[in-house]
Amino acid sequence: MTSYQSTLAEGEGIAEELAEAQRSISIAEFFEKNRQMLGFDSGARALVTAVKEAVDNALDATEESGILPDIYVEIQENDDYYRLIVEDNGPGITKEQIPKIFGKLLYGSRFHAREQNRGQQGIGISAAVLYSQLTSGKPAKITSRTKGSADAKYFELTIDTDSNEPEIEGEDTTSWDRPHGTRIELEMEANMRARNQLHDYIKHTAVVNPHARLELREPQEQFKFERATDQLPEETEEIRPHPHGVELGTLQKMLDATDSYSVSGFLQEEFTRVGGKTSDKVIDSFRDRHFGREMAWSAPATHEEADVEAAVSEAVANKGAQATAEFAESVAAEIDDAGSVTHSRVQGIVETVAEGIEDEYGTTFGSTVREKAVAAAWDAVTDERTGDIYALVDEATTDRKDDAHVQGLAERIAAKFEDEDTPHDRLTRDQVGDYVDRAADATEEYDEATFGETAREKVVDAIWGRMATVPDEPPNITAIDDDRDTASELHEAMRETDIIAPPTDCLSPISDELVLEGLKKEFDADFYAASTRDAAVHGGDPFIVEAGIAYGGDLEESSSADVMRFANRVPLVYQRGACSITDVVKTINWRNYKLDQPGGSGIPNGPAVIMVHVASTNVPFTSESKDAVANVPEIEDEVERAIREAARDLKSYLKKRRSMEKRRRKQDKLATILPEMAEKLEEVTGNGELNIDDSLARIMNNVLVDRERDGETVRLIVENNDDTTATLEITDIVSEDPGEVEGANVVEMDGEYFVKWTAEVAAGTEASIEYSVDGDATFDVQVEGIEDEKLTINA
Amino acid sequence: MSTDSDTQSESDAREQLIDLAAEFYDQFADGEVPTMSIPTRTKSNIEYDEDMDVWVYGDRKSTRSAKTVSGAQKLLKATYVIEFLAQQLEEDRSSTLRELYYLSESFDHEEAQFNSQDESNQLIEDLEIVSDVRREEFHMRPEESGATVMGPLLIREQTRRGEREIHCQEDVGEGGYQIPNNPDTIEFLDNDADFALCVETGGMRDRLVENGFDEEHNCIVVHLKGQPARATRRLTKRLHDELGLPVTVFTDGDPWSYRIYGSVAYGSIKSAHLSEYLATPDAQFIGIQPADIVEYDLPTDPLSDSDVNALESELEDPRFQTDYWEEQIELQLDIEKKAEQQSLAARGLDFVTDTYLPERLDAMGVI
Repeated sequence: MTSYQSTLAEGEGIAEELAEAQRSISIAEFFEKNRQMLGFDSGARALVTAVKEAVDNALDATEESGILPDIYVEIQENDDYYRLIVEDNGPGITKEQIPKIFGKLLYGSRFHAREQNRGQQGIGISAAVLYSQLTSGKPAKITSRTKGSADAKYFELTIDTDSNEPEIEGEDTTSWDRPHGTRIELEMEANMRARNQLHDYIKHTAVVNPHARLELREPQEQFKFERATDQLPEETEEIRPHPHGVELGTLQKMLDATDSYSVSGFLQEEFTRVGGKTSDKVIDSFRDRHFGREMAWSAPATHEEADVEAAVSEAVANKGAQATAEFAESVAAEIDDAGSVTHSRVQGIVETVAEGIEDEYGTTFGSTVREKAVAAAWDAVTDERTGDIYALVDEATTDRKDDAHVQGLAERIAAKFEDEDTPHDRLTRDQVGDYVDRAADATEEYDEATFGETAREKVVDAIWGRMATVPDEPPNITAIDDDRDTASELHEAMRETDIIAPPTDCLSPISDELVLEGLKKEFDADFYAASTRDAAVHGGDPFIVEAGIAYGGDLEESSSADVMRFANRVPLVYQRGACSITDVVKTINWRNYKLDQPGGSGIPNGPAVIMVHVASTNVPFTSESKDAVANVPEIEDEVERAIREAARDLKSYLKKRRSMEKRRRKQDKLATILPEMAEKLEEVTGNGELNIDDSLARIMNNVLVDRERDGETVRLIVENNDDTTATLEITDIVSEDPGEVEGANVVEMDGEYFVKWTAEVAAGTEASIEYSVDGDATFDVQVEGIEDEKLTINA
Repeated sequence: MSTDSDTQSESDAREQLIDLAAEFYDQFADGEVPTMSIPTRTKSNIEYDEDMDVWVYGDRKSTRSAKTVSGAQKLLKATYVIEFLAQQLEEDRSSTLRELYYLSESFDHEEAQFNSQDESNQLIEDLEIVSDVRREEFHMRPEESGATVMGPLLIREQTRRGEREIHCQEDVGEGGYQIPNNPDTIEFLDNDADFALCVETGGMRDRLVENGFDEEHNCIVVHLKGQPARATRRLTKRLHDELGLPVTVFTDGDPWSYRIYGSVAYGSIKSAHLSEYLATPDAQFIGIQPADIVEYDLPTDPLSDSDVNALESELEDPRFQTDYWEEQIELQLDIEKKAEQQSLAARGLDFVTDTYLPERLDAMGVI
């Protein structure tokens, strides 16, 4: 939806190129009946949704042109209606683009591209235009100025809801103070009851877009959010879809649209991460599903009645005794060498041997002869099937199965191959399953044996494993496109084949530093933490999860923590309870992280903000209005990990803070008790005035953990002023590799190095470890085995 | 004891207390952390002193240190109490443990006030241990005065109103002679006794007196009144040590009563620092023994869960680790029954004086 503005450098060319890529889907009328699905179900919500769509659009337009966004939102009360004005400093749009962009539902290149984008689907600002038109009867007023043009262009636009066609009602040239950009003005039936959500949306947008300058002016209040960085988000690459990520319907559309003739070409052209080898794997899997596999049987052994050589020799007539003999001998030898053969393999062998003999003897082995030879050889090979099946069944079942039962099952399965009308023993996996089931049922009935689900499945696996993929040409694209079942077979084959995960350069995370910046900018807290996970994949779409936590300071103390959800840098303000991000926050045991959580589950209490950002080429939402992230296990796992990473920092911060508080309380108390005691002692003993400063100093420094740094050398020292031996478990978490540390264990975990040191420090002594580490390393030391009041960490 | 020696011991007590304060003072002055180290007062830290034949505290120490807030609070309280006691001794007055608890309300520093009477009682015990001065010499009394004595014994008591000579049969009513808070103010002048009989319950004591048991058997009946006060134990010890009387203890037949015997004979865990002064190691247990319950077929109550726990805990108590007690306790756990002293009345009101006690005392070789 968003690449509608031409880039500054290349002018109109790009805009038109993009227009080419866009396809229209007519659902204007559909919208009229399904407003709620798109987030326009009430006047309050409609206003928020319209602001959201317009701002998302504006952000995308500016970023794509490499411009730092400067966005102005104004809401005016206008008699019975509200007027929404959104201005950006984007590159502006061409005359041809304007009506199409703002006027047609589901009209946008995003609907077909795989790229991390705010809109993701071509339903957005056009829906706002339509809503405005339906409720106020007024056209959308659009002003746009491209860089370098003297004037701005002005349009009034309506949509014909029957044809989904935009109509320009007024066109004019006007002047505008912005050097370039777009302004849209919509009048609509609305109200400001969702004022808080609107403020949240703008504020949260500012948090995750620290490079944007935002301004909101509404009838009662006015906000400005300045930018915290001049760094634009990294440009994202558009990627082709991943084979694991397409639905059957999408696949059918792609089949319909492709220029490729062969499946192989189609796979390699249209999908990411598919080369020759992967394509072969997918096609083999497709063949197995489409054609089935052929069973391979062992060549008859010498003691068996069947004799390939004799059979072939008999089948060949009038080809000269010697040629016939050599032909038969060679075929038999080849089959013997192969160990076990499928019908296709026998055919291949006969063809090859026949060619050789023809060359050698100058006799023609025509197709009729070859066919007869193949048939004869195959008959000999399949003369006895039970042996092969018995070996497979025996291996697949447990030792405890009665041998007679195994034999019985094997005989019955072999009989199925004899009886059934499956030429060349070519079967799909389902057919094999059917054979085994029926044979096992019969065995259970007549032999009183039992073959459970697992045993049967194993037998099927063994037989299927022995069977070989057929060499037949797979159907071409047209054939697949024509038949839904075949398309489904291809779809399944794509899903089932292992394919490396999609590339992740199509994603643009905010980065943990900028998450921190964003939080610091908008929340006045005591502590901030952020984490960005590595990219992961769900259903063929790559995604990255980021989390941030702000704590303390001016944040509200008495209520539960504020959970901010984002998808592709867009704040999600509605349907909090339906969102899987909220679910994950609720299931985490926040008590582990030193936050108050009544009942041990749910949103934690306290002065905290928890933000989660999911960036993906395809964020799975619960509905079209894109308010809540759907419960996808892969995403939920990553959300949890990201939050936990940030929460770990929060925990150590809170721990430190609490121990300092305790210590302070203790010190305060001792500082009143001990002077009082000293005074009393002076009175009772009649001695002179006491100076208790030395005693106080010793009391306060019970066990002190200190860090000395000298260039790359780090020394961790424990001084025990207590009167009992302290046995401490000290863990120094270092961001860089400290190498071997004498007297301590070093464990690497997730890129951090845990230097674990068990120190036994006798009363009144000190102990230390020493190691070398890069200058930029950061440290976090944790000490177990001593009460907080007795501990001072200065490291 | 003479008045002179009294004054002597009081000024000693005062000096000891001030020395203790001076110790804290010096610790501060040296830049050290003030601490007070006292033996851990638990069952696992008492041991048998072979020389003195009593149970005393072992080597394990607990430390009250100014390093912790609670330690500092304890030391502050100790300092306040030292001042109070020193002043009380100087003015030759006395007070009860409960009075001390309420008095702490008037301490000008809130942290010095006691939260419960247990705390103040414990502090007094701490001070006894560290200063090696007994509570009585601090002029601290328990709330209830000592129990009573009835028997052929002539004593002289040093009272605030002068000396009194009292015969504990002829000069007293049915209630007997009341043991003063500090029995060391008593001097034994003469006696016609063969042994001392310490009785747990008032009902049984009255029965013995009514039946004239003290006269008939030349016996000094000491009423223990449940868990005996220090004064009662001290007097019992003196009857044994100074008059050479065999001491016997007659209680109910349940685990709590065995502890009463234990504190008479071996010393209590809480005051093991004073065992040497309070315990009568030669004291003999009359009953009710679990074996008596069986032998006399006495009316019984079933053992409660807490009784069973108490019995099991006694099996681990070093003071009860003798063949006799192990056998009796195990027997009781086996029959799961307990009996009161008064249950002997089931065989008639005179049964205890005519049959049970003579039989038992005879068996024990006392008469």
